[in-house]
Amino acid sequence: MKHRKRKQQVKLAVVNLVLMLVCIVTFVPILYAFSVSINEQNSLLSSDFSFIPKEVTLENYRKVFTEEPVVLWFRNSLFLAVSTVMISLGTGIPAAYIFSRRRFPGRNAILQMLILLYAFPSLLSMTALYKLLSPMGLINTKTGLIIVYTGTMAVFALWNMKGYFDTIPIEIEEAAMIDGASPLQIVRRIVLPLAKPTVAVTAMMVLIYVWNEYIFAINFMTGENTYTLAAGLYSLQANETSGSWPVFSAASLLVSLPILVIFFAMQKNMASGLTSGGVKG
Amino acid sequence: MKKSDIKSDIKSTKKKKGAGTAAAYLWSAPSLLLICLIVVFPIFYTGYISLTNMNVYHWFTYDLIGLDNYKEALLVFDSGFLSALFLTVVWTAVNMLLQLVAAYLLASLLNTKGLKLRNCYRTLLIFPWAMPGYVSILLWKTGMFNSQFGLLNQWMEKMGFSPVKWLADDMSAFICCTIVNLWLALPFMITIIDGALQSVDRSYYESALLDGADWMQRTWYITIPAIRPIIAPSVVITIFTTFKQFDVIYLLTQQAGAKTGAHIHTILTYAYENAFITNNYGYSSAVSMIIFVILIVFSYGINMKPKEES
Repeated sequence: MKHRKRKQQVKLAVVNLVLMLVCIVTFVPILYAFSVSINEQNSLLSSDFSFIPKEVTLENYRKVFTEEPVVLWFRNSLFLAVSTVMISLGTGIPAAYIFSRRRFPGRNAILQMLILLYAFPSLLSMTALYKLLSPMGLINTKTGLIIVYTGTMAVFALWNMKGYFDTIPIEIEEAAMIDGASPLQIVRRIVLPLAKPTVAVTAMMVLIYVWNEYIFAINFMTGENTYTLAAGLYSLQANETSGSWPVFSAASLLVSLPILVIFFAMQKNMASGLTSGGVKG
Repeated sequence: MKKSDIKSDIKSTKKKKGAGTAAAYLWSAPSLLLICLIVVFPIFYTGYISLTNMNVYHWFTYDLIGLDNYKEALLVFDSGFLSALFLTVVWTAVNMLLQLVAAYLLASLLNTKGLKLRNCYRTLLIFPWAMPGYVSILLWKTGMFNSQFGLLNQWMEKMGFSPVKWLADDMSAFICCTIVNLWLALPFMITIIDGALQSVDRSYYESALLDGADWMQRTWYITIPAIRPIIAPSVVITIFTTFKQFDVIYLLTQQAGAKTGAHIHTILTYAYENAFITNNYGYSSAVSMIIFVILIVFSYGINMKPKEES
């Protein structure tokens, strides 16, 4: 018996060791970026390189705000993200609800078609989108990007929320209807509160998508003033020199921070809000 | 009840039904219109462009040239599409295999009996998932793989080796991309497999242990069959995202004006390069349409019909 306990302890120690190693390896790129961003000496090319900086400074973080238009990019990103999330939810919730609750001609055909559309990466129709938006004067405008982003995420928003609405028992709504509630009241007072997890997760996915999207942003927007954070960071690293790398790493970590906070705050909702939807991913 | 009453009754329910349909479409109109404008119409438009010779010289004055672009993509081996397609298949296979094995091993370790720090490890391992993808990739590119001041070469020099250009040739660039993709994708896979492992009934293992089954046998005959249906949808989705992977390869090896020397293309980076770098829009659109068809055939092949409770 004692022998067995001993064996169990050895096994646990090995498992702990392996997992710790994996965690450390996982964090190397992030920790290294952090270390570079607070390194006083800026000695990237010198021979006395060390992973842990000898002198610490916040100079690079100051530079992010003073030398690069990061605050402007942040404002652009925030504006795009909030508008896109609002429009996505505003258009997505009614559609998802209707597709979940009503049966009408064309419903199945549309749902099937949406699944196929979901397989099509929006990147591939970029030329066509450009050709479509430019006569309308929407290239190099925030409105144009918002339309592209909402349209791209609309299929996901519809399917994901519809899947969750399907799991809410219809009996509650029927009871409310007998009590004389109007359809709008039912949605506002009963369905939406119950559907909070999926609305939150959908909003988060849209937000993260907009926050991280750079390829449309750099092709459809010209000029540093209109850049989003993602496009701006992309342009920062494009003129990659050893001098700008500490500033870039500082900026990268700053940009990631809001997403990290949202992600870990939402983690509990993730499972229920995403997995019960029809389309995952 | 009179006959005419019944008739009008039927009429009114029909009317009601028609009104219901109209209302249904009215409420979903904004969403459906957006999808039509941004998703459906551009696909048809891409199909149209694929039949023309639109490029940077013929941006407005292009002509219909029939199926020439398709012929070039599919029949001319030198065009690069077929090799990109082949590489994409290899890339997907290699990545999925590594991901599944690594995620399974790590998830099993996380589920070791008596592991006190389980939640701590889990949170740490999920971390890369929470980072913005492009930021992580750029940090890998500049922080780790950069030939002058990347961490790998700093370590190489410290150990007395000469620095290596990690992203300069095809093979090592492919390996670097795979490592980064693994780093990005493992957290999702670990979460899925970990969740599935926890749902496996413990009593199976107890009876298997009594029968003297070793770890391999338990894995092969109990765990894998038990978790397969649970993880299948997520695995299918990951296969799709891996097949459609763009960011990793594009950002690591071939940004505009910053090509690292490696020449690896997945079908998506290939389509993108032809559209926005060499500006051959007609040809690139043909490639896009072919990719779309492949994806549709795929999703029908594995019958990824969404489950609908009804």
